[in-house]
Amino acid sequence: MTGSIVTHLIRKDLRLHRLQILLTMAAGLVALAILRQTGEVPFVLGSTWFFVAIIVLGSMLPVSTIVNERKKQTLTFLMSLPLSSMQYTTAKLVSTLLMFLAPWLGLLLSAVVLIATRNPASFGIVPILLILASLPVVGFSLILATALVSESEGWAIAATIICNSSYGLVYYLISRTPSLTVNWTGHVAVWNAAVLRFLSAEVGVVAVIVGITFLLQSRKHDFI
Amino acid sequence: MNGLAAELNAVSKRYRYFLLDKVSLKLPEGQIMGLIGANGAGKSTTIRILMGLVHQDSGEVRVLGHRMPAGQIAAKRDIGFASEDMRLYDSMTLGWHMNFIRSIYPAWDAAYAQALLKRFSLRADQKIKGLSHGQRVKSTLLLVLARKPKLLVLDEPTTGLDPVARHEILRELTNVMADENRTILFSSHNTQDVEQISDVITFIDRGRIIDSMDKEIYLDRWRRLRLEVPLGTQLPALPGVIDVQQQGRLAVATANAFVPDLANAYENSGARVQCIQNMTLEEIFVANVEHSREEVEA
Repeated sequence: MTGSIVTHLIRKDLRLHRLQILLTMAAGLVALAILRQTGEVPFVLGSTWFFVAIIVLGSMLPVSTIVNERKKQTLTFLMSLPLSSMQYTTAKLVSTLLMFLAPWLGLLLSAVVLIATRNPASFGIVPILLILASLPVVGFSLILATALVSESEGWAIAATIICNSSYGLVYYLISRTPSLTVNWTGHVAVWNAAVLRFLSAEVGVVAVIVGITFLLQSRKHDFI
Repeated sequence: MNGLAAELNAVSKRYRYFLLDKVSLKLPEGQIMGLIGANGAGKSTTIRILMGLVHQDSGEVRVLGHRMPAGQIAAKRDIGFASEDMRLYDSMTLGWHMNFIRSIYPAWDAAYAQALLKRFSLRADQKIKGLSHGQRVKSTLLLVLARKPKLLVLDEPTTGLDPVARHEILRELTNVMADENRTILFSSHNTQDVEQISDVITFIDRGRIIDSMDKEIYLDRWRRLRLEVPLGTQLPALPGVIDVQQQGRLAVATANAFVPDLANAYENSGARVQCIQNMTLEEIFVANVEHSREEVEA
């Protein structure tokens, strides 16, 4: 066998879903192009599109990579290959996270470049941008875990609805938290304790979700 | 290995509405075993346990010398598994699937894969979504056969196929067995398909193995005797006769261990044996299932 089976499955998923990733990148870049224009309308429109592109990808990927695999009965084909259920779980987590995080990171870096090329550069927005852009990563992890563990389209959709309807509320609460927003109009990025705590919490929640997913998957007895 | 490609020993699996009950099965290397059962009899559950996809609650499973489900990764390197509910990726071509499988299985035989493409009239550049059901089954079988597995496990592979496609697939499976080290476990509720290619037949019903033996022995042992029974004659209960249906002066006795002496015994009791008929595998299967259910309910 050339390369590990997990690598083969990851490559397979990347190949199957590359169009979805490219479309998200394109939509995100269009949003950033709008954001380059000055004025309130381009700002609202561009930032909304930017986050919608990330959130839509985070909602669709777990369904197309995991739920559809079961629904379209390609899972039986995969599980006939020399792999265990834990290798399948690892491959799915890594490939789906990769397919989400690659365009997410690409768009985030593009946004930072956009900020840097403005005159004057307003780097003060970068910490809050990172906090806000990381929330869909948390939501995506939850949807991904739900899809993997429940193996159910219904539960995956329920998780998607809960996550997507929570972003607005969390964004509102963040905007009402002075310690997070006090420096966002400045020219320098300020990484104060509140910002670092929030980012650590986001990373922590993602790590816990991934850990619980592995634990629950390892206890499964029936895989098909 | 002990000459067995697969062995299940007192394997049980309980679901809410189904129990696979202490299934024991031995599949010798180099043989084709047909696993026959009605829908919901437990064929797929047995096969999934054998593949390590479902974990048994109790009992022991060994496949190609590996304990299952723990040894499933090593075992599946030498198993080719195809099932009726298995689908390929619609948006990709058969050629892409061939490359994918080739990258995983070093024993992939590219020349054989090309020969199968031609024999099955398939095109590597065609997307799966454009294929008919028969072509999809053949594509799956191509992907399974060209990796040269020691053990082929086929769960209802011919379901829904037209007679020509069924014939092509059964012919290919027979060709595969030219290599004496190959073993096939073939499940179906279509007894004709199983009868055509199997060496050994196993009947499963309601989660229990009800019989398992060489196909020729089955066909040799099972007979139907049509009897004329004069008024006042009582048919004797004979060993090897599992069922007697009588209507007026005519009776039909079904034997699962036929010997010529049976006919003599009926003649001696005063009945006249009109004819002794061979039974098809389907008739044997139905009679076996009915007898087994009567025994369980008694």
